[in-house]
Amino acid sequence: MRWGMVINLAKCTRCHACIAACRIEHFLPLGMTWPRLIAWETDIPGEELSTIPVRCNQCKEAPCVEVCPAEATKKREDGIVYVDNDKCVGCRYCIIACPYQNRTFFSKDKDPGYFPGSERTRFEKAGHKLYEHQAGTTEKCDFCLERIDAGMAKGLVPGKDREATPACVNTCQARALTFGDLDDPNSEVSKLIKDKNGFQLHPEYGTEPSVYYIDYKLGNAPSNVAPREEQTASHLQHLSTMEARAKQIFGKK
Amino acid sequence: MSEKKIIKTTCKSCHGGCGVLVEVTDGVITHIEGNPDSMTRGTMCAKGLSSIQHIDNPYRIKYPYKRVGEKGEGKWKQISWDEALDTIAAKVKEASEKYGAHTVATSQGTGRGYNRYTHRFSRSMGSANVISPGYICHSPRIGLYGLITGYGRLYCDYHGWGGVFPKTQISWAKQLEISSADSEMCYWYMKSLDYCKNLIVIDPRATAYTSRATLWLQPRPGSDAALALGMINVIIQEGLWDKEFVENWTYGFDKLKERAAEYPVEKVSEITWVPKEKIIEAARLFAIDTPGCIQIGSSLERQANCGQTLRAIIDLMGITGNIERPGSMVSWVLPETGLIEDVFNEIPLTDEMRSHIYGGDKFKMGAARTCNPDTIIREFIKGEKPVRVWISVGGQQIVHMANTNQVVEGLKKVDFMVQVDQFWGPMAEMSDIVLPAAHWLEIDDIYDMHPRWCIEAHNKCVDPPGEAKSDAWIFNELGKRVAPEYWFKDVETLLDHQLRKAPIKWKKFSDNIISGCYGPDQVYYKYKTDYWRKGGGFPTPTGKMELYSTVLENLGYDPLPYFEEPGESPYSTPELAKEYPLVLTTGFRSPFYFLAQYRNIPWLRSFMEYPTMQINPETAKKLGIKDGDFVWIESPRGKIIQKARLFPGIDPRVVAATANWFYPEASSKGFRGVFISNPNILTNDAHQDPMYGSPDLTCLLCKVYKCKPEELKDPKFGDIFTKEHGGRPWAW
Ligand code: SF4
Ligand code: SF4
Ligand code: SF4
Ligand code: SF4
Repeated sequence: MRWGMVINLAKCTRCHACIAACRIEHFLPLGMTWPRLIAWETDIPGEELSTIPVRCNQCKEAPCVEVCPAEATKKREDGIVYVDNDKCVGCRYCIIACPYQNRTFFSKDKDPGYFPGSERTRFEKAGHKLYEHQAGTTEKCDFCLERIDAGMAKGLVPGKDREATPACVNTCQARALTFGDLDDPNSEVSKLIKDKNGFQLHPEYGTEPSVYYIDYKLGNAPSNVAPREEQTASHLQHLSTMEARAKQIFGKK
Repeated sequence: MSEKKIIKTTCKSCHGGCGVLVEVTDGVITHIEGNPDSMTRGTMCAKGLSSIQHIDNPYRIKYPYKRVGEKGEGKWKQISWDEALDTIAAKVKEASEKYGAHTVATSQGTGRGYNRYTHRFSRSMGSANVISPGYICHSPRIGLYGLITGYGRLYCDYHGWGGVFPKTQISWAKQLEISSADSEMCYWYMKSLDYCKNLIVIDPRATAYTSRATLWLQPRPGSDAALALGMINVIIQEGLWDKEFVENWTYGFDKLKERAAEYPVEKVSEITWVPKEKIIEAARLFAIDTPGCIQIGSSLERQANCGQTLRAIIDLMGITGNIERPGSMVSWVLPETGLIEDVFNEIPLTDEMRSHIYGGDKFKMGAARTCNPDTIIREFIKGEKPVRVWISVGGQQIVHMANTNQVVEGLKKVDFMVQVDQFWGPMAEMSDIVLPAAHWLEIDDIYDMHPRWCIEAHNKCVDPPGEAKSDAWIFNELGKRVAPEYWFKDVETLLDHQLRKAPIKWKKFSDNIISGCYGPDQVYYKYKTDYWRKGGGFPTPTGKMELYSTVLENLGYDPLPYFEEPGESPYSTPELAKEYPLVLTTGFRSPFYFLAQYRNIPWLRSFMEYPTMQINPETAKKLGIKDGDFVWIESPRGKIIQKARLFPGIDPRVVAATANWFYPEASSKGFRGVFISNPNILTNDAHQDPMYGSPDLTCLLCKVYKCKPEELKDPKFGDIFTKEHGGRPWAW
């Protein structure tokens, strides 16, 4: 099992929701952002505008793990690279070692409160209890490992069941983010990588990222016929109170 | 032991209505995410999620206040709700008795589920002078759909309920992908793209989708009517129109054909700057690969040719038969609760009330239920007193109306103004009494974004700050003091009243969260049944879809669509264009702001700290402007500062400015920085759409030049540009 993400550049609209979702999920202090969006703009016709969402690639051969003198940055069996902030000594070797600039050092000045000069909000105060950030240590995206672990403990499947899936993936309205097991050839992520020519950013760095990208032209759908569950709006029907009225007006149902 | 609850509610941080789950631990919100068991399947955008920073936000208005200094001086005295409401009621009564009920105007921001309260309040006290941004956003569409098809509201059928999704989609001056606007939901639009054969984007700027669409047309801002007429002409010339539909169900095709012939593709290409091959291809794809739909953006409604542009686009839908078919433009069957707007429709406008609608004699279509705000401002400037009492809810007329300087001068002359709002902003600084409004996380209410196929519930998750109250409560209390016969014992009774047509009361609805009509409950091809008319047809005077509008003819307007140059353009005012050589468009969508909102939300402001204008690198180079420079944008009305963003995805002859900008962090003086960067300093109220009164907000002329560093230190800007990031929380 190796958790991975496929990011669909054709669908990403640069909406920034993934960043907001990660900030909420991890009570990120004001100056901290784990995922980022890289704006890509050219004058090449048909390639005017792209957005490349980036976050820690959870590299298979992770240089950040190798350089950490405190054994604070570690890789799990399932491929997730995480930081044990109790052990992190703040040397920041890993920040230099990560060729993708996906790590951030958390210092006190990055936590001035949402509204410097005003009292901290109740959400922030709750966050300090529920999800402590330790000044002087390094942080990064960890694929929402708490969600994965808690979800799997309940028998849920990451990438399929929401409770076991990263927050950014859940919130993306464009459905540009897909999560799942790269080792399982039948998982959604493996299929997308295979069918849509998934690629990694800078494979030449040799770190074997677990985050893949796909891109293609929109349109060209082979058929516009709606699948049965869309036609019937089956996921909405239990929310409907229409039955009586539908019968009354249209004599159907 | 801490108590943890998950509350289901509905987001209205834009027009969306996304389902939300809110985790509340011991009375404090500890998490927000989308509700998977909702229409939007657990997805939410940055605006909705950042609602968490509305709670405990120091910019909130927490208590009722009355002004004790000059307007814009920022001197306030806290007062009780009773004093505030009694004072307002007394002022309303006094103005009604002395000068007539029509001198009491109620204004609002964009429709966010409180429209029905503003309208009901206004009607209940006898005035039809509701001031709404509708005339520059959505109302023209609704009105013209109504005119042409007889039934007011057509929307894109993105859901597959009729068996298919649209095969060809046109996204016209709209970025639905980054904000659910005007009754449409971005989630459904983006989902439908998986089934789309041709995606055609019409936008003066590149977007994520233009780069991946089947076709991108990049018109000169303000030339869209010509483009639509050109496409109609291509379709007719090539014999691609839907013969069956046109023959049986439309009126005036031959006359439209004649009119469209005045727009040969070469001429249209010259007007619009779109290569003729692209115009032809777009027309063919839309006519051949049906069903198709057109998503219309409100930028087209912020132009003085707005009515005709929309007429042309709607006729384009008509001749291709893209009306009421699955996957085309359809009107929704409403949920069993019926039209929530009936809450104000049940108090009809009398002829007497109508006769006092400002601008009603001139802008006949716009005056259906609201007045023309620009007319009111001009009356004030002339020295008249058209409005004595102005009750404003949630909107920022100062920010969104054309010609800000004139608007401010006009508003200073209103005898008595009230602002109901969540945050301190320009309109609050202008007011005599300010009332604190609650956020959607803090209220019980019904959400209805115009007649969509569903209504939803907002359930209160936490208490509002200080003494803030819901809009429903505020209007009910005010209503009871002014016209008690129309108002209710309490908010719950008011909510029950709105649901009265369904066998459901507020309490149960609040649990259900939604009442909708979807899937097989929706009805297509209504014109082939008795739905609108016995024996079939459209509910128009001719019983057909009126490509040639008999109603407009009777009102004295051209019954056929035509193109007219914007009030200021390189072609209509070539002399002016010598001094102001660039076409300026304002108001493109931003994914982190909704109109004038959210500059005070740190997470959102962090994504765009200063208002940004986009300029082609080629043009910028000629002007000596580098990426990130502060620049002046100037028109004959004034000049503003924005930050330059060099962007190859915009035509070298065009620049785009971020609209609706004020600085919530700026001082009360200068009305919270409304004169610094707001593009409406530049816009002109003199050119208005003859039907709706919409001014040219998204197409005018300007010049751009670099701002000198010392100019940014001008004391009138305070520390906005000088202090490192202004010392503000969004410095990140
Ligand atoms: S939430 Fe999705 S669409 Fe929005 S920026 Fe992130 S990846 Fe892109
Ligand atoms: S992306 Fe950087 S931080 Fe993440 S695993 Fe790879 S090297 Fe380490
Ligand atoms: S996977 Fe989780 S931690 Fe990583 S960017 Fe997404 S939300 Fe943040
Ligand atoms: S799209 Fe609109 S309704 Fe949905 S989460 Fe965003 S702001 Fe809220």
